[in-house]
Amino acid sequence: MTANAIPEGSGEAPVVQVRSLTVQAKAKKAPKKILDNVGMDFAPRSLTAVIGASGCGKTTFVRTLNRMVELTPGLTVSGQVLYLGQDIYSRSINPVLVRRRIGMVFQRPTVFPMSVFENAAFGLRLLHESDNEIDSAVQEALTRSGLWDEVKDDLDRSAFSLSGGQQQRLCIARALAVRPKVLLMDEPTSALDPMATQRVEATMRRLKEEIVLILVTHNVGQAARVSDRVAFLHQGRLVETGPTAEILERPREELTQQFVTGRFT
Amino acid sequence: MATVLDSVTYPHGLDPSDDLRRGNTARLRWRTGFDRWIGYLLPLLFLVALVPIADLVWYIGKTALPTLTFTVISSQNSFQSYNALGVPLISTFYILGLATVIAVAFGLFGGIATAEFLSESAAGWVRMSANLLAGMPSVIVGYFGYFAFVLYFGWGYAIIAGAFTLGFFMTPYIFRTADLAFSSIPRPIREAAYGSGARPVQYILRVGAPIAFPQILTGVFLAMAIGLGETAPIILTVATNVAVPTNLSQGATYLTYLIWTGFQFGPHSVELTLAFEAAFLIVVVVIALNIVVRVIAARFRRRLEGLYQ
Amino acid sequence: MSTTPAAGGEADRREPLPPLDSPPDAARRPRRGWKGWVGVIVPFIPALVPAAIVISVAVTLVNASGLHNFGWGFFLPGSSANPYGVAVEIVGSFLTAVPALFLSMILGLGIAIASVVYLPTFITRVLDPFVDLLAGIPSVVYGLWAFIVIAPIFGTVINPWAVEHLSFVPGFARSIIPPSPTTAGTGLPLAIIVLTLMALPITTLLIRDALRSIPKDLWESGLALGATRWEVMRRVGLRTGSRGIVSAAFLGFGRAIGETVAVAMVIGVDARFPVNVYDVTSTMAAFMFENLDSAESHPALLQNLAELALVLLAITLVVNLVGRRLVSHIYAGEVAGI
Repeated sequence: MTANAIPEGSGEAPVVQVRSLTVQAKAKKAPKKILDNVGMDFAPRSLTAVIGASGCGKTTFVRTLNRMVELTPGLTVSGQVLYLGQDIYSRSINPVLVRRRIGMVFQRPTVFPMSVFENAAFGLRLLHESDNEIDSAVQEALTRSGLWDEVKDDLDRSAFSLSGGQQQRLCIARALAVRPKVLLMDEPTSALDPMATQRVEATMRRLKEEIVLILVTHNVGQAARVSDRVAFLHQGRLVETGPTAEILERPREELTQQFVTGRFT
Repeated sequence: MATVLDSVTYPHGLDPSDDLRRGNTARLRWRTGFDRWIGYLLPLLFLVALVPIADLVWYIGKTALPTLTFTVISSQNSFQSYNALGVPLISTFYILGLATVIAVAFGLFGGIATAEFLSESAAGWVRMSANLLAGMPSVIVGYFGYFAFVLYFGWGYAIIAGAFTLGFFMTPYIFRTADLAFSSIPRPIREAAYGSGARPVQYILRVGAPIAFPQILTGVFLAMAIGLGETAPIILTVATNVAVPTNLSQGATYLTYLIWTGFQFGPHSVELTLAFEAAFLIVVVVIALNIVVRVIAARFRRRLEGLYQ
Repeated sequence: MSTTPAAGGEADRREPLPPLDSPPDAARRPRRGWKGWVGVIVPFIPALVPAAIVISVAVTLVNASGLHNFGWGFFLPGSSANPYGVAVEIVGSFLTAVPALFLSMILGLGIAIASVVYLPTFITRVLDPFVDLLAGIPSVVYGLWAFIVIAPIFGTVINPWAVEHLSFVPGFARSIIPPSPTTAGTGLPLAIIVLTLMALPITTLLIRDALRSIPKDLWESGLALGATRWEVMRRVGLRTGSRGIVSAAFLGFGRAIGETVAVAMVIGVDARFPVNVYDVTSTMAAFMFENLDSAESHPALLQNLAELALVLLAITLVVNLVGRRLVSHIYAGEVAGI
């Protein structure tokens, strides 16, 4: 599928552009294509939901956007992922820097065995920022993540003392602390109860006014609630992408229609 | 004067497009470079472990092989002379064999009983005691054998004393493997057996044993490898009689004893030669047993994965 | 036997069934009999063997040592055959085991991190078992190799070099007693090296297990924040695996302090306080091992040795207890025989 560019006239250049992205796994007989010629753009201050059945490649897709796909052995990546016009896979680019600009939140809350403050400050400490900077950045991150009010009284308590939903919001704050322009979220609420899910979704709605969010979800309802655009992947191919309302109510492709109506919760 | 923490959005649109290049500061390059170089240096530490063992095996092999002729080991002479390996080999065989029988008797039943009959909390205590037993210095077990078997039981320096002492030393290794082997039999299989009305003995013999056998075998081999290399439990309980032992209450010698007595002699003395030959034989057998154990363990793991489907 | 319906008398002799809602009472439950009890108890007995052995060891040693009538005076000189008292051996044990533990932990950490983080799988699959193989080499063989191969290197190369260049460091100056040719190179440093090699497989294995069991998600979260592999391991990995690492330290120390024969072969023949780095000394285990046969005719020395054995036993039991408790799966390191 060719890229679905941002509609003309919006006036803003896309932050992330994916061109002909193909990911192959070395298999016994023939290389298996996990992603096949995917192309899309991501506009600033938007939330794009990537949906599809299990195994369709959506997790692999987002992992190519911050070069985490390199951690899985045996995969070849071809194509381009442009961040602000620059190919993040080019040899002269440091992947560590890419990951600071394009952050990621995982499915299970993965808080480090440290205090709440130290968790949020983790990325900043790597940059050797001054203590004042760190304090204010931590507060800012926790506020943006919607966790500040709940933890501000005791930032030194262990991160494990938080509930699951709070831990996940701490992970979001941790990722936000280094001020990424893009935040990748791989099914961040699938391990959370409905209340916690609501809170995280509220955070997502706030954040999409500021940065680019790319959300992988198997929950079409969630996509409907929070996203501006939806991309539907099927067996490694990008079937269709467009504004949320269009995709979910009037999809152009048969496959999309089947998936959306079968999974609407 | 952009700081590293850029503002969230630039007032006039997006960042300059070469952000990824500008952001690669000296500090970041240092961090990345350090990580790369540590990745080259740390693996070199493997050499610290591997070079000594390679040198050890090579040196012992190089010293022992030329003299390790067939006549030394097996000629008729070697069973009467004090200067050959025949007698120690037979003695070692006897003592180790007996010790293995004892260790299997105690360890196998104990391990199976722990896995099958004990509650989790009781099993925890028992397993801890097995670990403690495994962690006891060999000289302590040797002392126990001396005081208990040689003195109090009055057996004197005898093969039977040595076999029991060494056997007790080897027991926890067989115990642990038997326990682990039976504990890791998949639950559905166990429940199916008991659910069809099997009594514990029937389950153990007909269902558990075939499944657990390879793993228990590795435990026995491991224990034998350990028993072959032990010195203290033997020396403190078995005298140094060099004759071929004819009954259990006599003393006997052992391969490791040859090393212990011979190592301080001069370079071409009989004693030192025998020491190296004994060391060579022990190392070869121990390494072989270890390899066999690993191979069995790997194949067993694959079989067990099949059982889960 | 008549098949006619029972007469009234027989019917009365049959026991009446209990009413439906009454609880069964003890008299009506079938009694087990002694055979049944055996069937219940007997299976448990073999499981007690390890505990029984451990307890027997302790009891035997206590009995042999006559602790009840000897008291703790054996630490001090004068009361044992060793004119310095067993303090020498105890100090010697720690003087050798502690540096060996330190070295083997550092090496173990480095090797484990290299194996878990930096090296590709096909290499670690081959190299890791080699390090584990170190644990299988018997103590005597280590001692033989160290005595024949390494000690001369110390005696002819390292020690003279150190005397020439490092004599300003306290403890490295020339010893008053010139070493004899057979024992040149033996002593503390050689013992420490041998013990390091023998404790290394334990520390490496346990640390490697601890680091391998870090959840993949956690590791990737660290990387996704813009950290290098070293930074994630240092700041997150070591903390998460800290239990296993501490357990490695305890169990490695237990091995180092309990090592008998290899140490006895390289630590030198005389049991005295070492005056400098090149001097010989003794450890608890080595001393116990070497002197039991000469103690046969000296009951006092025998009791002393038994007391020393109790001290060593107590130390190893405590160290092993703490070390094993820290690891969640109670049979860590099982395949390598640790």
